[in-house]
Amino acid sequence: MKDVLKTSHLTKTVDGKEILSDLNMSVHKGEIYGFLGPNGAGKTTTMKLVTNLWKPTSGEIELFGDKLGPSSHDLLKRMGSMIEFPVFYEELSGEENLKLHCEYMGYYSPDCVGSALDMLDLTGAARQHVKSYSLGMKQRLGIARAVLAKPELLILDEPYNGLDPAGMKKIRDLLKTLCDEYGITILISSHLLSEVENLADTIGIIHHGHMLNELSMQEISEGSLAYIELVTSDVKHTSYILEEKLSVSDFKVMDEGEIRIYDSSISTGTLSRVLSQNNVKIDALKRKNDSLEDYFLKLTAQSEGEGKSYV
Amino acid sequence: MFKLIKLEWQKHKISKYIAGAAILIAVLAIFNFAMAFLGIADDSATGVPDMALKHMGISTNVELLTDISFLIFAAVMHATFIISEYKNKTMELMFTYPVSRKKIMLSKIAAVWIFSFVSLAAAKLICYAVVQLGMNFYQNSSFPMDVSLTDPMFYLTTLLKSASTICISFIALFIGMTAKSSKAAIVSSFLLIVLMQGNIGGASLRENIFIPSILTVISLLFAGICVRMAEKKDIT
Repeated sequence: MKDVLKTSHLTKTVDGKEILSDLNMSVHKGEIYGFLGPNGAGKTTTMKLVTNLWKPTSGEIELFGDKLGPSSHDLLKRMGSMIEFPVFYEELSGEENLKLHCEYMGYYSPDCVGSALDMLDLTGAARQHVKSYSLGMKQRLGIARAVLAKPELLILDEPYNGLDPAGMKKIRDLLKTLCDEYGITILISSHLLSEVENLADTIGIIHHGHMLNELSMQEISEGSLAYIELVTSDVKHTSYILEEKLSVSDFKVMDEGEIRIYDSSISTGTLSRVLSQNNVKIDALKRKNDSLEDYFLKLTAQSEGEGKSYV
Repeated sequence: MFKLIKLEWQKHKISKYIAGAAILIAVLAIFNFAMAFLGIADDSATGVPDMALKHMGISTNVELLTDISFLIFAAVMHATFIISEYKNKTMELMFTYPVSRKKIMLSKIAAVWIFSFVSLAAAKLICYAVVQLGMNFYQNSSFPMDVSLTDPMFYLTTLLKSASTICISFIALFIGMTAKSSKAAIVSSFLLIVLMQGNIGGASLRENIFIPSILTVISLLFAGICVRMAEKKDIT
């Protein structure tokens, strides 16, 4: 079993509006999969379909190698999830809520509730009503609940909502530990790209219900996305020299005198030599790697452009 | 299944409801006692009950009052156990558990039904018992005792009537679920009583098993629809 989760041609229509179309994604066993997309892209919808809360209009979901159907409740036992904001029985304490979760999941292990509370710094508030919890505490309790029954697949929708930087770091470390030590596969969605960048092995970018790209972080950081950043006061002349003298065509003029050269065959040495020979004043010259953020923005902007051209 | 029902009670703090039912039963018993012996329902001019028809016995009062009270009580329970769980999205949480939606809904409905049924049967029996006890101390009762606490049939009919009365709350549950409103469920339980003129298998229908049975069957159908609704729908 290589893929823990696999969707094929997953489509969901609500009130005649297609919010997910033909989505194919595969999450490998033991990896952290970052699920990215602008607001309203269909991340939560996908997660709801995967956790059997919603039923797909068409397409299939495979979990642990089995097809997910309306009655496959046993598969749900192997998953832990927190979708949208976590909900609790507010009149009960945090501890009671977690105990209930164990009962319903059929998971019995002495002190699992205590250790989960401890792991997320909630021991002090364990006996308080959830009603009195702050947003961040509820978020942490939701994560505690999701990891409580040692799931094989952990699904977290925007787990960083309402957390302070220390809390965020704590969650990041926790997720890494769960993945490395317990081999738990994690599907995480977030709009905080830098958090996902630090954490994920693979990312999937979704926009307007379409999967734009699915690739490993390694692919992003390696090769194709590196570029040379050149800052000069005379952009026009520089572009001319780049094209004519160096026959470089794969570059892009950004604002404020910045040029990005994507051609990987050219070295910074040659570049500076040729440019100075042609009397171009160089303010800065640097080899750079595209961050996930740049990549994400590029991809979603591209698809936005394509979307407009259809109209 | 019983474990699921127990979890429902635990989650919704059944002790609150036990206290509520106990207070309600006490009030009903005192009220019935006062009507029978203290003359609160008597017309001051004539000294006979001004609301009573000829030949009206104590059972009319007891049945009517207990049925009304606990039908509303059951509707309130449905509202918290089911409708408000949809509203504050804990139902969504329940549906992520490895238990079928059918079972979850059935356990909720059963949790409410069992509790309300036991309370209603207890209420009826306690009211009759209190009046029966009063007979030993007061010579004159405004309402004659028209049931026999020594007849086994009395206990059987009381249980059956209680069961069918609580079943009627499923209609209120259905209305509340469709309207997604707890208030709708509670208000419609009032309306159901008005519609049936308080005669839910009461004294006037005592010899007639037909109407209560039909009502019960219809109510059970509505309960079935509620379960199917939960199974089919995406929850949003």
